[in-house]
Amino acid sequence: MTPLAAAPALLHDALLVGAILFALGLVGILARRNLIVMFLSAELMLQGISVSLVAWSRHHGDFGGQVLVILVLTVAACEAAVALVFVLQAFARTGRLDAAAWQSLREATLPRAVDHALPASDAAPPRWPRLSTAGVEPAADEEAALEREHV
Amino acid sequence: MTGLLPELSPGLVLAGAVTAAAASLWLLLPRSGESRAARWLGLALGAAALAGLVATGRRLGGLGEEAVFLTVALVAVISGAATIVTRSPVYSAIWFALSLTGVSGVLLVLGAQFLGVATIVVYAGAILVMFLFVLMLAQPSGLAPYDRVSNEPLLSAVAGAVLLGLLSLAIGRLTSDTACCAVAPRAAGPATQAAAPAPSAVDPLAADQVARLGGELFGRHLLAVEVAGVLLLVALIGAIAAVARGEAALEDDRRLAAGGGRR
Repeated sequence: MTPLAAAPALLHDALLVGAILFALGLVGILARRNLIVMFLSAELMLQGISVSLVAWSRHHGDFGGQVLVILVLTVAACEAAVALVFVLQAFARTGRLDAAAWQSLREATLPRAVDHALPASDAAPPRWPRLSTAGVEPAADEEAALEREHV
Repeated sequence: MTGLLPELSPGLVLAGAVTAAAASLWLLLPRSGESRAARWLGLALGAAALAGLVATGRRLGGLGEEAVFLTVALVAVISGAATIVTRSPVYSAIWFALSLTGVSGVLLVLGAQFLGVATIVVYAGAILVMFLFVLMLAQPSGLAPYDRVSNEPLLSAVAGAVLLGLLSLAIGRLTSDTACCAVAPRAAGPATQAAAPAPSAVDPLAADQVARLGGELFGRHLLAVEVAGVLLLVALIGAIAAVARGEAALEDDRRLAAGGGRR
């Protein structure tokens, strides 16, 4: 590859890395329920933007992109400080870092999110001894077993 | 690197990689009723997606530069993915710190020395420590139930994959367009442009990078620096005020609850 083609290749690869980081952050902020992990995902998106800005800055030979990344760092610090105060107060009210703990703020037309078949813990389920069958198996109420008292 | 796969068109490789990435994220995100086999399948699909994305990348100039860039980019991307799929939020934060080191490596390869170091110092040293403080204050013992499930993991993974596919298509078109990318650096005058045959291959910002960045920051962008300083001050005061008001509101709530209980 000639050196002439090297710079657009570096631009392409760096922009691709930035796009991947941004998409990962988007998936995290959409999917995760923990407020802190959602903020980490937002920071991941900011990292993707920073990589793209620096790539363009190098491509154009201009410091504007790098100055913008410094401002992104500043805004991220402010955002983390203010947002973590609200996260801590939300935790003080509900006792959970759960985004779904605030689902009473949703639109009136939206259904309530209820978790089904939630594992109680990551510990391995206990192994009970296998007993020989005796008597009649009682009918299980499956709906009641799936419901939890809170989300 | 498309020479490795001569029979496949780059668009097909990209589509396959993006689909594999979506499936991998769907399998790896916290879900109820997950199995060990699903986790291994997700890891394998993630490796396939990474290989496909690497294959769509362009060849950089030298082997050394390419190896360094590939290493730091893979560190950034793999730990970024681990940040969003790890169950424990503390491990998430640690993976995010590792992703930050990868990003800072990418910035260093791109020639932004000051930003590469600032990312480590400011993000991993200050912001991430703040996150860990809050986690340690607010984390219940063991894994909370809401850390073991996700909101719509399939739809989220598909949304991310669609975004990634569109972005990488646009990036591929943009950088293969020679009219766009043969643009000479703005800083280089016509005389230096004539002297250097390949101005875009060398980094025009390399000489005295930090000093010139500081000059630019406090020269052309002085107003932005002042605004950023005011923003930091406002955030500081706002955070303190929010803490004070929140404590008062919580006290009111408790007093109301206690009074209602007695009556």
